[in-house]
Amino acid sequence: MDELKKRAKELLETGAVKVVIGYEQGTGNKTRAAFIQKPEEVSRLIFDSRCVLNLAVYLNKPEVKQIGKPAIVAPIPVLRAIIQLASENQFTDDNLLILGITPESKFVEFNKLADVETYLDQHLIEIEARDKEILEKLDKMSVEERWNFWVEELSPCFKCYACRAACPMCYCHRCTVEMNQPQWISVPSHQLGNIEWHFMRAMHLAGRCVDCNACANACPIAIPLNLLTKKTLEEIKVSFGGYKPTLTGGHIMSTFKPNDKENFIR
Amino acid sequence: MSRIGVFVCHCGENISATVNCQKVAETASGYEGVVHSVDYKYMCSDPGQTLIKQAIKDKNLTGVVVAACSPRMHEPTFRKACNEGGLNPFMCEMANLREHCSWVHDKGDLTTEKAIDVVRTQVEKVKRNQPLTDIKVPVTKTALVIGGGIAGIQTSLDIANCGHKVILIEKDPSIGGHMSQLSETFPTLDCSQCILTPRMVEVAQHPNITLYTYAELESLDGFIGNFTAKIRKKAKSIDEKLCTGCGLCTTKCPTKKIPSEFNEGLGFRPAVYVPFPQAVPNIPVIDRINCTYYIKGKCKVCEKVCPTKAIVFDQEDEIIEVAVGAIVVATGFGIKQPDFFPEYGYGKYPDVITGMQFERLASASGPTFGEIKRPSDGQVPKKIVFIACAGSRDEAKGIPYCSKICCMYTAKHAMLYQHKVHGGESTVFYMDIRAAGKNYEEFVRRAIEEDTVKYVRGRVSRVYEKNGKLIVKGVDTLLGAMPVEIEADMVVLATAGVANPGAEELAQKLHISYDGYKFFAESHPKLKPIETNTGGIMVAGACQSIRDIPESVSMASGAAVKVACLFSQNELTREPLIAVVNRCAAPLYSTCVGCFLCQSACPYQAIEREEIKDRSGKLIKSIAKVNPGLCQGCGTCVAFCRSRSIDIQGYTHDQVYNEVMALLNEY
Repeated sequence: MDELKKRAKELLETGAVKVVIGYEQGTGNKTRAAFIQKPEEVSRLIFDSRCVLNLAVYLNKPEVKQIGKPAIVAPIPVLRAIIQLASENQFTDDNLLILGITPESKFVEFNKLADVETYLDQHLIEIEARDKEILEKLDKMSVEERWNFWVEELSPCFKCYACRAACPMCYCHRCTVEMNQPQWISVPSHQLGNIEWHFMRAMHLAGRCVDCNACANACPIAIPLNLLTKKTLEEIKVSFGGYKPTLTGGHIMSTFKPNDKENFIR
Repeated sequence: MSRIGVFVCHCGENISATVNCQKVAETASGYEGVVHSVDYKYMCSDPGQTLIKQAIKDKNLTGVVVAACSPRMHEPTFRKACNEGGLNPFMCEMANLREHCSWVHDKGDLTTEKAIDVVRTQVEKVKRNQPLTDIKVPVTKTALVIGGGIAGIQTSLDIANCGHKVILIEKDPSIGGHMSQLSETFPTLDCSQCILTPRMVEVAQHPNITLYTYAELESLDGFIGNFTAKIRKKAKSIDEKLCTGCGLCTTKCPTKKIPSEFNEGLGFRPAVYVPFPQAVPNIPVIDRINCTYYIKGKCKVCEKVCPTKAIVFDQEDEIIEVAVGAIVVATGFGIKQPDFFPEYGYGKYPDVITGMQFERLASASGPTFGEIKRPSDGQVPKKIVFIACAGSRDEAKGIPYCSKICCMYTAKHAMLYQHKVHGGESTVFYMDIRAAGKNYEEFVRRAIEEDTVKYVRGRVSRVYEKNGKLIVKGVDTLLGAMPVEIEADMVVLATAGVANPGAEELAQKLHISYDGYKFFAESHPKLKPIETNTGGIMVAGACQSIRDIPESVSMASGAAVKVACLFSQNELTREPLIAVVNRCAAPLYSTCVGCFLCQSACPYQAIEREEIKDRSGKLIKSIAKVNPGLCQGCGTCVAFCRSRSIDIQGYTHDQVYNEVMALLNEY
C-alpha cells in the first residue's frame, strides 16, 4: 500500500496524471471512491477487503474525463473491466495509467493494456462455489418455480438504478430504459417493469459482464442481481468456451468463429 | 394526420374462401386514421391497382395497406401502383392474409379475426412510415468465375463473348475439371477430351478472360455489383512467364511414384508435374509435399535441367485483390469414396474400383491407354460386374438422393467394356434405370440389346475374394428374389456424387446458403435455380446438385445471361431499407457510444467508423456509421445495439413497437 501511495504521489507531483482514482474511508464502516488531485492528499488512499466498488465505472464519466489523464487503483475486477471497456473502444493506452493490485494486495503497475490482458490470463473468471450452488438450485426448478422466484426477488425493486450507476459496463449516454420513442421497457417499478428492466440489463451484459458484483453490492435492498449475469457467464462457457476480456479477440457474442457450435439452429 | 387506405384482396378464392374479406375491410374502416377501406377480388390485377391509384388521388391518402399475399411477389407491384398514384412507394405496406392466414387456417370467425389483427398491425405501422428514396450503386463490369470445370469454362466464355471481363480461378493446376478425366460421353460416345480441350484453349486465349490456375478464393467482401475478392494464387514454384512448357523438368524429376490425382490413383506422376498432356495452362507445378527438395532440402534436378531458369523454389503464395460485380460459383462435385462400403471391399481388393477409375482405364489418355486391364495384375477381365447406386438412394448411408448420372455412365461403362473386350461378360446390378433425357433411354436399351449387357434388378449384399475371383453375391428381384452369385474378375462401383469437400467453407466465405448435403442452395427451386440468395452470386453446374454435362453447360450459359443482365446497367437500384445510426443535437451528437460491437456482428462488413470533430478539428466522439452500399438491412446490428442507436429504415423501433402493440390490442 505504501508503494502504491508513493507511486501515486510521484505521478501527481510530476503531472504524469491529473487525478488518482482510488478508495478511501467513507462514513461508518464503508469505503468510497477517492479522486486525489493533490500529491499531499495521497495518504487518504486505502485498500482492503471492503473495497468492492468497481472504480472503472468512473473512467467514462464526463466529470472525471474533464479533469485530465487518470491513474486508477485496480484490483482484479477493475482490471477486467478496463480491458473490456478498452475492447469497446472507450479508451486507449495513452489516456490511462493502471495501478494494479494483486489478489495478495501487492502493488503492480501496468504500462500497457496488453500487459493487463496477459496478466489476467492467470486470473480467469471463476464463479464462486456459493453462487454456483444457487445457480444449480435455480436450474433444477421448474419454469414456473423459477419465474416465481424472480418475481419475488425483483418485486421490491423500486428502480433507483444504483445497479446501473455502479456497473462499469453501463456507460451508455442514454440508457435504453430512458428511450421513450417508443418505450420498450416499462418505466414504473411494477412487476412487469422490474422484470423487463433487470432481464434486459442482464442481456445487455451478456459477454461483457466481468463478474465484479458491483451491481449487487450497490443494491440498497440486496437483490441478488448478479445471479442473472452469472448465469449468462455459465451459458457462454457452455456455448462458446468461456468469457475473458480481450483487446483483440472480439466480442464473444458478436464475433462469429468457424468452430462456434451452431447447435441452437435446428 | 394520417389518411390511410386499406385494400383487402380476395386473391380469387385463395383468401376469401376462409376469410370474410368484406368484414375485414369494414372493421379496418373503423380504425383511427383509416379514411378508405375496400375489398376486391384481385388487387394485383389492372383494375385492382387502379382502385388504389384512384383512391390515393381522390381521398388524398398518406399511406396504403394492401391486405393480400406475401410481399415476396407483389410488394413491388403495389409499391409501383402507389408511386403511380402519386404516393412515395415506401408508404405502402402489405398485410399477408394468404400465406399467414387463409392458407394455414380453416374457414371460421377466428381466421377472419386473425386477418383483422394482421391488417391492424400494418395500419399502425404505415402511420409511422417515412418516405424513402432508392439507393443507386455503381456496377463493376467484371465477373469472377470460381471453378474451371466445364460449367466454369462455359460460363466464362459466354460472359466474355458478351464483351465483359472475366476472372476465372481454378484450384487445380489445370482447368478441365471432371470432364477432362472422362473417357467417352453418353449418349453419343464422343471423346470427352476431344470436345472439351478446344474450349479450354479458347478460355486461355480469350482476350476478356484472365485465368488463374492453382488459385483459390481467400475472402470476399462487398455486395452485388461491388465485390472485392481476394484470390490466393498458390505457389507453383515455377515462374509462369519464363516457363515454356517444354516438360523437361517433369521427365527428369527423380520422384516419380506419386499416385496421379488425374488418373484416380491408377497411374503415377512426378513431383513436378502437369496433370495431363492437354492441360491448360501447360505449365507444371511442384507438389511441395512430395518434392525431395522441400522434404530434405536438396535435389534441385528440375532447376538444373530447366532451359529457361523458370524454377523458383522460394516462390510464395500471392494474394491478388480484384474488384468484381458478379460471381458465378461452378465448383463442381466430389465423389464419395467407397471405403464407407466395407461390404463391397473397396480398398481391400484392388480390382474393386470406382466409376471414375474405370473412366481412366477406358480413356485413351489413361494409364492403360484405353485397354481395360485389372489394376491387380494387368489381366483383361473376362467377367465384370457393375454395381449401380453404390451409396446413392441409400438412407442408411446418409445419401437418400439419386446421384442422377450413374445409370447413364454405368450403361456407358458396360458398353465400352463390351466394345473393348470381345467375348467379355458384363453384368449390371441396378435398383431402377433412370434414363430420362434426350436419347438416354435409347442408349441404355442399346447397351442391353445390341451390346448384350446383362441387367439384373437387385442389390448386391457382399463382394469377397475366393480363389483369385471376386464373388459378387446379389439378388434378382425380377425372378422372385432369386439369389445371384457371379465370379467376377473386376467390380466397378457407381459411387455417389457428393458436394465438394471444401463446399461448406466456400459457402461461408461467399455468404451463400447450402443444403444439408452441402450443395449450394438456389434462390428458388423452380423459378430461380441459378441465383443464390446473395445478390450477384450465381451457381452453375454440379455444385448445386449432381448434373450431367449438357445440364451443367445449359446452367452455365444461364448463369452467364444472369451476369450479362446485371452488367447491362451502369447503376443498380437498391431498396433503401437499410440501417442508419441516429444523430442528434450537441453535446450528444448521437446516442451511439462507439462500442462498435455492431461492427463484428454485421455479416456484411457494412459498419464503419465516423469521427465527429469540432471546428478546430478536435475529435469529440467516434460513432458507428452504416455504409448504405454494403448494408443489406438484416437488422443484426439493431438487435445488438444496447443504446438503440441504430434503426432500419422502414422497420424502425417505432414502427415495430406499434405493430406489436396493435397485435396485443393495446389501442
